[in-house]
Amino acid sequence: MVEKYQVKLMAEKIETLRRTATELKQISGGIQAIDRNADRILASVKMMEINISDVADIITEE
Amino acid sequence: MMNAEMYWNPVLETLPPERFQQLHLKKFQRIFQWAYEHSKFHHKLYSEAGIEPGDIKTFDDIRRVPKVEKAMMRSVQGKEPYPYGDMLCVPLEQVTEYHQTSGSTGQPVYQPDTWQDWEWLAESWAYILYAHGFRNYDRVFIPFGYNIFIAFWAGHYAAEKIGCEVVPGGVLDTEARILKMQELRATALMATPTYLLRMAEVAKTKLGIDPARDLYITKIATGAEPGGSIPATKKRIEETWGAKLYEHSGATEMGAWNYECVAQCGLHVNEGLFLTEIEDIDTGELITEPNRIGKMVVTAFDRIAQPCVRFDSKDIIQWSPIERCECGRTSRLIKGGVIGRADDITKVKGVLFAPSSVEEVVRGIPELGNEYEIIVARKGEVDDITLRIELLPEHKERINAVQEELARQLRVKTNLRYDLEFCEYGTLPRYEVKSKRFKDLRKGG
Repeated sequence: MVEKYQVKLMAEKIETLRRTATELKQISGGIQAIDRNADRILASVKMMEINISDVADIITEE
Repeated sequence: MMNAEMYWNPVLETLPPERFQQLHLKKFQRIFQWAYEHSKFHHKLYSEAGIEPGDIKTFDDIRRVPKVEKAMMRSVQGKEPYPYGDMLCVPLEQVTEYHQTSGSTGQPVYQPDTWQDWEWLAESWAYILYAHGFRNYDRVFIPFGYNIFIAFWAGHYAAEKIGCEVVPGGVLDTEARILKMQELRATALMATPTYLLRMAEVAKTKLGIDPARDLYITKIATGAEPGGSIPATKKRIEETWGAKLYEHSGATEMGAWNYECVAQCGLHVNEGLFLTEIEDIDTGELITEPNRIGKMVVTAFDRIAQPCVRFDSKDIIQWSPIERCECGRTSRLIKGGVIGRADDITKVKGVLFAPSSVEEVVRGIPELGNEYEIIVARKGEVDDITLRIELLPEHKERINAVQEELARQLRVKTNLRYDLEFCEYGTLPRYEVKSKRFKDLRKGG
């Protein structure tokens, strides 16, 4: 069943999300309304990493 | 039966077992390194054992990593950084959640979580509830007094994550909760086995409501006690509520690490998020074969504020002989849930005794009420075991026959003779979350 999903592509998109949220924090100038919401986004990104990214290289290595 | 819509995450839940082994090693290395580098407690523990992050190369290396026990956690807590002490792996400013263990085995253990940890806890519960069949069309009632105990908090957020409509019934009393479930036509419920039986009793005796007939509950998530996997208790609850009962196991320090699916052939280990080992209670030898009980050691791969690395849970479990569940999940299965705690499994009159075996007998006799109490005491040089039960009022005339049948079943199933004490119906203690039905007075308990 695993083969039918685009795991590697999903992992790349998740990495983009992490990079974007992190960059947003870097340019926020300390605005709490940005930083704290970015932290929440990053926590959700982490869940997608656990669900997909962590296993992506294991699935794709043959 | 395999269908992607059955799984919260088909990628992890149907991963081939050999891939899980690779994933476990990789994730163990990562959490071990995190704990080693960020917690003074773990650094000292591992340094004294002569193990550094680069040393974990195989599963045998994982087995060399010292286990952490609850008593060790208690000993470092209550100190700076207050109140978590040297196990804390993040600055205090990153802790957003405080909870604590129920204290059923002693001084409660503090559990700090970051926002990411909290999201993780909800994620682990999303696996549970989705496997139970909870979906976005369900209206989920949670009759739980939200407080410093972690139970069902994560269930609340996981149900939201799945898209369910969540009704928090925390501040209501039992009668009001039942009436609210009826008024809103709630379709799903989360509660401990003890409280499910208690709610049903109140519904019938005080409100004239038959949960199976007058409510709309079709599925129930349960945990926190062995009852959900004790066949007689499960049957009672399912018949009383007219709903399917699904079990999971977890603990404050570990998270929720297993769950029952709708095929109900055992409890699936959440292999993507946890490493579960079973060890012989006496020798510590790794148990891989089915039907042999042992003590569970668990690692949560992704919880960071206060990591759970080879935590000696003292929970007694066993692997199932069923290699693959018909639901298509590839995870290993636990047979019969958490049977008990190593602390509770004790020798009485020289016989190994698990209180859950008594529950199976009591709840299997229809003339008896749901409540019971086991008291073990020392009389002179011998152990004495008393079982207190309640006869349902409508079966009063059958007391002799029930007593005979109860004594017979207890002797057959537990190899022990009991002093049976029939109490007036409604006089034994009732519980709302976790029950305390086993008292071993030999330990001063």
